[in-house]
Amino acid sequence: MLARKTATRTLILTLLALSLSLALTGCQRASQQGNSAPASGVTMDFTIDPDPALVGQTQAIVTLTAADGQPVTGATVALKGDMSHAGMQPVLADAAEQDPGVYRTEFTWTMAGDWIVTVTASLADGTTAEQQFDLSVTR
Amino acid sequence: MTRTSASLHRPAPAFDLLRVPGLGRLLRWRWGRLVFQAPLAVIAAVMIYDGLTGPKLAPQNLATVATWVHYRGLVVLALLLAGNLFCMSCPFTLPRTLAQRLARHGRRWPRALRNKWLAITLFVGLLFLYEAFDLWASPWLTAWLIVAYFVAAFVFEALFAESPFCKYLCPIGAFNFVGSTISPLQITSRDADVCRSCVGKECVNGSAQVLGCGTELFVPQIRSNLDCVLCLDCARACPHDNVALAARKPLSELTNAAWPRRWDVALLALVFTFAALGNAFGMVPPVYELEAALAGWLGTDNEVLILALIFGVLYVLAPVLAGVGAAWLSRGLAGGERIRVVLGRYAPAVVPLGFAIWFAHYWFHFASGALTIIPVLQSFMIDHGVALLGSAPNWRLGAILPANGLFLLELGSVLIGFLASLAVLRQIADNAHNDSRMARRAMTPWLVLLVLVAVLAVTLFTLPMEMRGMMTG
Ligand code: SF4
Ligand code: SF4
Ligand SMILES: [Cu+2]
Repeated sequence: MLARKTATRTLILTLLALSLSLALTGCQRASQQGNSAPASGVTMDFTIDPDPALVGQTQAIVTLTAADGQPVTGATVALKGDMSHAGMQPVLADAAEQDPGVYRTEFTWTMAGDWIVTVTASLADGTTAEQQFDLSVTR
Repeated sequence: MTRTSASLHRPAPAFDLLRVPGLGRLLRWRWGRLVFQAPLAVIAAVMIYDGLTGPKLAPQNLATVATWVHYRGLVVLALLLAGNLFCMSCPFTLPRTLAQRLARHGRRWPRALRNKWLAITLFVGLLFLYEAFDLWASPWLTAWLIVAYFVAAFVFEALFAESPFCKYLCPIGAFNFVGSTISPLQITSRDADVCRSCVGKECVNGSAQVLGCGTELFVPQIRSNLDCVLCLDCARACPHDNVALAARKPLSELTNAAWPRRWDVALLALVFTFAALGNAFGMVPPVYELEAALAGWLGTDNEVLILALIFGVLYVLAPVLAGVGAAWLSRGLAGGERIRVVLGRYAPAVVPLGFAIWFAHYWFHFASGALTIIPVLQSFMIDHGVALLGSAPNWRLGAILPANGLFLLELGSVLIGFLASLAVLRQIADNAHNDSRMARRAMTPWLVLLVLVAVLAVTLFTLPMEMRGMMTG
């Protein structure tokens, strides 16, 4: 009985120590690394039309600019809109290049509230730029 | 054991889950609870891990999705269809099962705290933290909440001789206890005579090998699911194999004066019901307008203060005033005893409606997002180099019901809950008064209260849900 008691305590303490160290070191998983830092020198700009966003179909525009101010052409731009609440299906869209460096798509806000849009741009040189944009959608 | 008079026996329960071939044996087996606890403990560990290290977006993290979508949806379903299955499988009490009794000679829980006041406080407190810190939007905080449960349950289990955490503290337990009073299954004795001649009363006292009831319920006297965590220790401890987990008449516990007529128990039922309204109110546009208006009037932008005000009224002031007010009016109209007794008599009538509102809200989230757990799991696996569930998460999975089905579900749930509450109310009033006119008068204030709560609930569910909070996570 006593041995078992000690064993349980040790187990719990180990688990606690483990979770504490995980929290403190803030170790990050693969999909979470480099989340908000765009690739070298590329500036990412995200706008919506209408602004502020209303529930329903809208336009989303992503503008990519290189460090020298030139538009970044030929990228593949994917958008993923998540709500801040668990259990909400994200909204996905691929933006097409309309003018040099300007990528546009229809984007449907399915509910009012707080949204986080993750824009992932796969550049022609094989690198990837990713950035998150927060916005509030109203009715 | 010989029996002499068959006519004195209560008939053996028509349906007893503990006699179902296979399952019954498993449930009564010494390590039976572990079979349910262990998987949940593993799931909880994964949730904590993902909550602390995984995606910071709530819809992409196992901690938030499994807690706020699946746990809540499934727990109310289990309560409706069977009973307090979550407490039965509760991973937080695992140490008790493993070590059998950590502190067999531990202290007794203080007498002054042997009531529901602390549980009510912690229940309201958790719901408040949920609003103030947008727990639904934070995997990190959700993970720490789970850790806090493990620590608290363990500490109280180790320090005290009984299981005070479940009975007197745990907010999940408080919710489940009230919810389980509408459940179809209840612990009872198979044969009352066997209990009468039973010497050891092992079901509550325990024996050398097996624990007795941790929340100190005595099987032959159980008429209510309040405080029963369905651990089935009683069934394991009974040397006469006389414990049943039996089907009972729907709503019978609520109409049969099965609860003690105590302030704390009655107010727990009322807080449970008003909290169902308040928790849903926290997600619709008027709450944001109210917050803004209050911020203007009070000249403060301290959100915690504003939320404390709003939810203090909704979770504490409103249920106390409504309950005591209705009891006072009811006594004025039909005469009778003390307010406490009248309140205690009628309080069970609000439970079906309150449960229905919780059910409607939790199922809104479950039915609209149950499948989102699949891409979240896929992405979790992929991040850990396991391609078991495919190499790309399918983020297009989400709802299990169409959007207009959701609204019908909410409406239907509130309607059924309201009718059930009405039936309970009538039965209680008829039981209390011989004269049917008096019964009508006594139940009128409670009827008004039920109508009011039901109308508010339907209004809330017709408003569009909004999901806000933790913009920057
Ligand atoms: S130990 Fe069994 S027989 Fe004895 S009182 Fe409890 S349930 Fe009845
Ligand atoms: S009566 Fe007590 S021992 Fe039996 S299942 Fe309920 S909580 Fe467990
Ligand atoms: Cu909600």
